[in-house]
Amino acid sequence: MADNEKRDKDESHLSRRGFMSLAGTSGAAIGASMLLSRSPTALAAEPRATTFDPGTTTPDYPPRQLPKPGEKIHEFDIDLAISVHEIVPGVEMHAFTYNGTYPGPEFRVPEGDWVQVNFTNRTSELHTIHWHGVQVPCEMDGVPLGTQWPVGLGQTFKYLFRAQPAGTHFYHCHNMTTLHVQAGMFGAFIIEPKVDPVKKLFPYEREYTLLLSEVDTHLVQTQMNDMLKMMGQMTAMNQSAKLMKEMNGRMMGWFQDKNAFLNAVKSGYIPPYVSSRVGAAKPPSFNFFMINGKSFPMTDALSIRSGENIRVRLVGAGAMPHYMHLHGHDFWHVCQDGSPLANPVKMNTIPIFPGTTSDIIIQGTNPGMWHFHDHSDLSTTNNGQFPGGMMTMLMYEDADKYGVKVPNVIQVSS
Amino acid sequence: MKHFTKNFAKTLLVLTGVFTRPLVAFAMQAQPVPIPESMGTMPQVEIDGTGIASVNYGNPIENGKVRYAPGIDFSDSSLLIGGAQRLYNNGIGSLGFGVLSPDEGNAGTTNPLFVHQAFVDYQAESAEFLIGRSDNRASHLVDFPTLREEDLITFTNPLDPFSNGSVLEEHRYANVASFTLNQDLTYFEDFHAQHLIDSQGIGSTSTSLNSFGAHFEYLCAPGMEPLSRVVSYGIGYEYETISQPSTRGLNQVSAGGLINLNQSLVDRVDFRAQDLVNFGSSLKSFQNLNDTYQASYNAIAGSVRYLHNPFGQPGYQISLTGGYRSFFGIDQAGSWGLAVTAAKRLGEGFDLVAQYATQWRAANLAAQYQGQTSENVGQIGLVFNFSGTFNPHISPRRTPLNTQHQYIPD
Repeated sequence: MADNEKRDKDESHLSRRGFMSLAGTSGAAIGASMLLSRSPTALAAEPRATTFDPGTTTPDYPPRQLPKPGEKIHEFDIDLAISVHEIVPGVEMHAFTYNGTYPGPEFRVPEGDWVQVNFTNRTSELHTIHWHGVQVPCEMDGVPLGTQWPVGLGQTFKYLFRAQPAGTHFYHCHNMTTLHVQAGMFGAFIIEPKVDPVKKLFPYEREYTLLLSEVDTHLVQTQMNDMLKMMGQMTAMNQSAKLMKEMNGRMMGWFQDKNAFLNAVKSGYIPPYVSSRVGAAKPPSFNFFMINGKSFPMTDALSIRSGENIRVRLVGAGAMPHYMHLHGHDFWHVCQDGSPLANPVKMNTIPIFPGTTSDIIIQGTNPGMWHFHDHSDLSTTNNGQFPGGMMTMLMYEDADKYGVKVPNVIQVSS
Repeated sequence: MKHFTKNFAKTLLVLTGVFTRPLVAFAMQAQPVPIPESMGTMPQVEIDGTGIASVNYGNPIENGKVRYAPGIDFSDSSLLIGGAQRLYNNGIGSLGFGVLSPDEGNAGTTNPLFVHQAFVDYQAESAEFLIGRSDNRASHLVDFPTLREEDLITFTNPLDPFSNGSVLEEHRYANVASFTLNQDLTYFEDFHAQHLIDSQGIGSTSTSLNSFGAHFEYLCAPGMEPLSRVVSYGIGYEYETISQPSTRGLNQVSAGGLINLNQSLVDRVDFRAQDLVNFGSSLKSFQNLNDTYQASYNAIAGSVRYLHNPFGQPGYQISLTGGYRSFFGIDQAGSWGLAVTAAKRLGEGFDLVAQYATQWRAANLAAQYQGQTSENVGQIGLVFNFSGTFNPHISPRRTPLNTQHQYIPD
């Protein structure tokens, strides 16, 4: 109760600050929104207050609290398995999939509510879930050998935390991250604010989440095979006291501390990164660039109508930066890493760096069909062939009304 | 001007055609491809090399002759290059071309290199079709951990009844057309026709098919070789169409397998054994080495190997391999052999090796080896093996993902 009182108090304070900020610098944004969705008379009466505060990073709710009796807990079951994922027709890959999908399902929970995720691993590889951008208690952060033991075959780990702060976040495996994220272990985690300042400024009904990532399909296959081979052996070891004893501490490169690691090196352990083990470095060579696990032309289009605002949540889930450019429009950058910006920024190309999220508002101001793509053009290819990759379309549903003829054609590289 | 333009356009067209082909291929293609307009894409290129060099001491018998002096031996060093690419309907097409150095008695003389691989291969999920020079389909049921593949070969390998014995690799490699079915990439049934190399000049034509057979083989789950009790086993039958007064058709039956005595990632002990039965010949004496390959015999071989593998990396290996061979209906022709082999890993693919091998032959068999009843050879040397893949985009078919989950050829 005390927490809620504190929160209400903070919100009222924040509203005043937001109003002052926007009134001074973001009149253009408000003006555009007015023209798009409401009559000038209605807009004149629109409250222009927002509820964000750039001045504090303190969690609204103490992360180490536990649920009190009667508090609502949103419970989700997430099973991890190996599935086959099709990026585009003719290109399939083995993937680690949460509930069978690449990327995993989108979570959407109200701010401040409790979340319990029952994560069951049905692969022989070790996994966790890291809640990226969410202010969880330390034990729920999903860092293997840091905040928890990795989840093994057949095991279930229950993640329990309060959904905060509001905004666009994501989740991903934090074990063998470079491999497991490419293999599909990521998804969106949307915490819906009690009062949405973005919606107040830019009224919208439809929104889209675009998870941007890339994959080196051959590397994923090779490393997944290597890991499955090792984990198959580990599973056998776990079922045999004899094997457990002889292998203890000598297989996975797990050591109790730095001294144990140093002692192992002195007694013959050769770390896998030295040149006598690995030769030259073999960095990933990404060959497919995806939006929500699909490459163009199999990406889903964004639908809009003239005069409509749509919200697009962009998530940098992969390892590369991407520069999303929208043809024929400017858009408003309204949130970064979940937090509303004090001053929305008008752009037509927005960089999405790995691990970041950016929310934008696209306004239906120019009927037609428009490309929305990574302007790092190497990413608009499929296996090196243009067009493809990280590209989708902004499609006006009422384009015909404005005399725009949208051709019924899909281009693939020939 | 009009004429110039027309010619210019024609020239441009020709040049365009020229420059779309790789320069080397354009200049050096020995034979046009069946559809020259399309030469294919850059395949996955694989290079595999093995260098074996040792100092030998003893009385090794090479090419049927005894050599007493200490020698430097680089036989079995090999280089293999291959290309592979994914085909339109999930198949994989590949080629392999490789040479190896035969023993000292041949290298530097008439046969400096032996082409042991020159094949084109088609693989789908459950079938494989290979044509060309490759492994004799009867010869690799069990591979023994001797230093070189021809060590103790008369015990460990089916023998080519068409060979004159001058190049031991003739027992290991053949011209092959094979079709292999599999179930779950675990059980394999191979049906093949072969031309066993006819250095004795027995057959009427140089490359006619002279061997037909079928083999069945089981392989444990990939990656689980150190921990499975039964790693592999197989059985095979081969019919060889030899036509000689005393040998009208030969039958070879082979069976063998590999089991782990100590299933372990650190201290693995395995045992492999094989029995080869050759029957159908009525030879009662030997006139030359070829007769010793044709005559009906039974050869058994076994090997115990210890592999110390600390921290998941090989440390050293010691093995003891033995074999015994006896002929049906020929007295004083038995033989046995033993080899103790050790390897110490100095780096990835780089080993310090040593081997002592001894063989004993009864008088009638020894007569074909210049009367040498015993052969003792000590070797110490270095082995370097590497494997490189360029433009990688295809994984092997038999992977944990493909065997435990849906098959994907990439």
